[in-house]
Amino acid sequence: MNVDSLYALRDVAGVPSHPILFLVLGVVTFALHMFAVHVMLGGAALTIRGALSQDSYWRQLANAMLSTAKIAVSVAVVIGVAPLLFVQVIYDPFWYTSNVLSAWWVIGFIIILSIAYLLIYLFYFKNEDLTQNKTKCPGSMILSLALFILVGLIMHTLTNQMLSPDQWMEWYAPQGQIDASGTQLHSINWARFIFMIALAAPVTGAWLYGYRHYISVRPGSDSGYLEFVHALARKLLTQGSIVSLIIGAIWMANLPENQAEFLTNPMLYITAVALIALAMVPTLFGAKINNGYTAYWLVAIAFVVIALVAVDREIIRWFALVVESGYNPMDYPINMDWYSTILFFATFAVVGGMACTYLLTVAWQAGQTEGTYTPSVAISRLGNWTIYIIAIWIVHYFAVGFWVWAQ
Amino acid sequence: MEMLGLYPVWFEPTLGSGWIIGIIATIHVLFSHTSVGAALVFSYLAVVAYRKNRPELLDYIRRYGLFLLVFSYVLGSITGPGIWFSTTVGSPRGISALIHSFVWKWATEWVFFVIEVIGVYMIVYLVNKVDQKTHLRISIIFGLASYTTMLIIIGILSFMLMPGNENWYTEGGYLNGFYGANTFAQLAMRTAFMFTMTAVVGGIVASSIKDIDFRKEMVRRLAILGLVATAAGLGLFKWYLSTIPATAELVMENRLPEYFTPALISVMGGIMAYFAATLAAPKLLKPAIAGVMTVVILVFGLWPEEVARESIRKPYVAGGYVYSNQVIGRDVPGLGIHSEIPTIEEHGFTNSLIFLPEELRTVTDSNKEAVGQALALNTCSNCHSLTDTGIRPLANYFGDDSSESDIAAYLRAALSSGTTLYMPQIPLQQDEALALASFIRQLKDQSIEIAADQGNPITVTQSH
Repeated sequence: MNVDSLYALRDVAGVPSHPILFLVLGVVTFALHMFAVHVMLGGAALTIRGALSQDSYWRQLANAMLSTAKIAVSVAVVIGVAPLLFVQVIYDPFWYTSNVLSAWWVIGFIIILSIAYLLIYLFYFKNEDLTQNKTKCPGSMILSLALFILVGLIMHTLTNQMLSPDQWMEWYAPQGQIDASGTQLHSINWARFIFMIALAAPVTGAWLYGYRHYISVRPGSDSGYLEFVHALARKLLTQGSIVSLIIGAIWMANLPENQAEFLTNPMLYITAVALIALAMVPTLFGAKINNGYTAYWLVAIAFVVIALVAVDREIIRWFALVVESGYNPMDYPINMDWYSTILFFATFAVVGGMACTYLLTVAWQAGQTEGTYTPSVAISRLGNWTIYIIAIWIVHYFAVGFWVWAQ
Repeated sequence: MEMLGLYPVWFEPTLGSGWIIGIIATIHVLFSHTSVGAALVFSYLAVVAYRKNRPELLDYIRRYGLFLLVFSYVLGSITGPGIWFSTTVGSPRGISALIHSFVWKWATEWVFFVIEVIGVYMIVYLVNKVDQKTHLRISIIFGLASYTTMLIIIGILSFMLMPGNENWYTEGGYLNGFYGANTFAQLAMRTAFMFTMTAVVGGIVASSIKDIDFRKEMVRRLAILGLVATAAGLGLFKWYLSTIPATAELVMENRLPEYFTPALISVMGGIMAYFAATLAAPKLLKPAIAGVMTVVILVFGLWPEEVARESIRKPYVAGGYVYSNQVIGRDVPGLGIHSEIPTIEEHGFTNSLIFLPEELRTVTDSNKEAVGQALALNTCSNCHSLTDTGIRPLANYFGDDSSESDIAAYLRAALSSGTTLYMPQIPLQQDEALALASFIRQLKDQSIEIAADQGNPITVTQSH
């Protein structure tokens, strides 16, 4: 596929702001999405492990992780919408072609994800309290996890196929015969995919440290259970980081030719060091890790590692598409639209910031309170202002709309 | 070589990509409209519960909310991006046109969607765990955020039919594309019908309430909501129709099946009768009946509506400038967009398509059916199935006795000049028209063979 063809595939409408904004937002939101995916995968795996165990601590953990996994799927899906949006804006020739070439799998993604999601709820409704009752229908949770991994594989393949424009025609019309069925997954990089999945272990380890600390402040928390969670968190964090590092090294050793330049990029080594540092945190901090907010900082550090991986992924894409194929998303024609650009960032910062701060603060504190939680005056005021600001947003929508309509 | 930025084609032989997009979109409309309507109903009920100290209403919110978590937020949140996915593979330049004009609007909607999803979990799981006033605040935030997602998506849906303001073509600008009479008419109509859906789906939960008096009260409340919303929706539907462009009206008159209007009236009548019956005798409502009614709305209400919405956009698929076959069909100077028709007229498809095997760029006797198939995939298959099943099978549009030259003549006349109202202009070169005609004739022969096997000959009069 020559570079002129790639440019010809670009959308003729251009983009409404500088492409760098979409690139940065794409990386940041992908990192958030992957973090939620990792928590979901780890939570689901621990739910299965605990639900199949007779040990009371394991069953207690399974109960908690089931709720975690259930909510993490929602978070992953909701946040996943954003990178899906931004990749279409600046990488449209690559994303759309890759999708069409495996169209049935793209449709399958929707169906399989729906089934996997519903299976979690099926397991939840059958097992509302794993600490008191026997596990029912564990197969639903096992199948759910397997299907989540399968949708991950589909998404990985679509992303990977983007990086090989030279092979597109061969995939679309092998031996000159057009195959428009879209039934094939054409390009899987197993080491890369397994690396992305394996990161769920250290992330879940860090998450468990945070979870342990969160429940430890509740009155009457069980110290034996806290110690059990601590030991498991440490194991997942340390061993998971090392395993991820090994798989990552295998991926790097087998990078395709058009991505191989990444081996000379400092970000690769920064990420490796960060992953090693993550593995060493429990050893370095010892028991202090459970003091104050250290455990929550550990969750933040785990997110930083995932964010570094998201940056690496973008650099690899840059090498494959910009350096090797000659397509530069940064020269996308701009039809600047200040209104919608400013509106998004204002909504994101003000409305999103206020609403999420209020809602998450209430959820957080309610979870740590025995009985009915009543927020402080300041928090309640934030809630009121969140209502006002959304109402103002809606009034602005109609005011601008009627004004435009009247023109 | 002048290149057309057309992507590879996905062809699904049984249903056709158009119907697959339609099925996913229809399901999503049910989930999303129900959830937005329910969010506003929850806000109202939370206010009543707080002011009149009626905790049972909060329990109803919790139960309906839990049901919605699975019904709307699991499936709705997947089928939403699912529409992106399905249009990506079925109409990549169509979705790309929307994305590139409205990316920030979609991103803004995403902010509200995040708030909405956090909100639904909180109103379900924090009932009785936070004080009532806090729960009320959360319910209102949830309701407002949810409705805002609808406000945003409506402008994009309207743009699919046409830009809000004709100036968009010359000046560009998101506001010109987003706002117009159709935006507000569609918003009003969908707002009404979303309450209809909320009332029907809410019946599944309300009819299973154990306290008989409370069950009656909730079923009656929903019935009143449903009756008012449906009646208002019908009135607003007329307003909506008055805002669609003249070409869309013509397409509606000529291309929608005759049964469409009576069927729509029957469905609306049936829904009103259902609400009237549940208002008069709330005891009769059972979860299964409400469930069946939900499916009825999905199949007989939303599906025809989505099909009609797709049909009246023809020959365009987005913004009145992207043809349904993905070719850019008109200039949009405001965005520096040029029609691709002159390029095709000058160079032909075979010399312009990117995803075409080199051996098909020159038509020969030995490859003309293969070239014809490639052309049919690129220029026809978005709207016409290339098999006997699926969306508007192509072979049905030609007579049994049409020769290749007859078909080619039609292709070079009506289609090449763009004089058929609901069809894109498809300026085929002479050799391309012959190649496509050869492929269509082959399709027709196969179709006749299949019909003969089934003892049911296909005639032109059946072709709609």
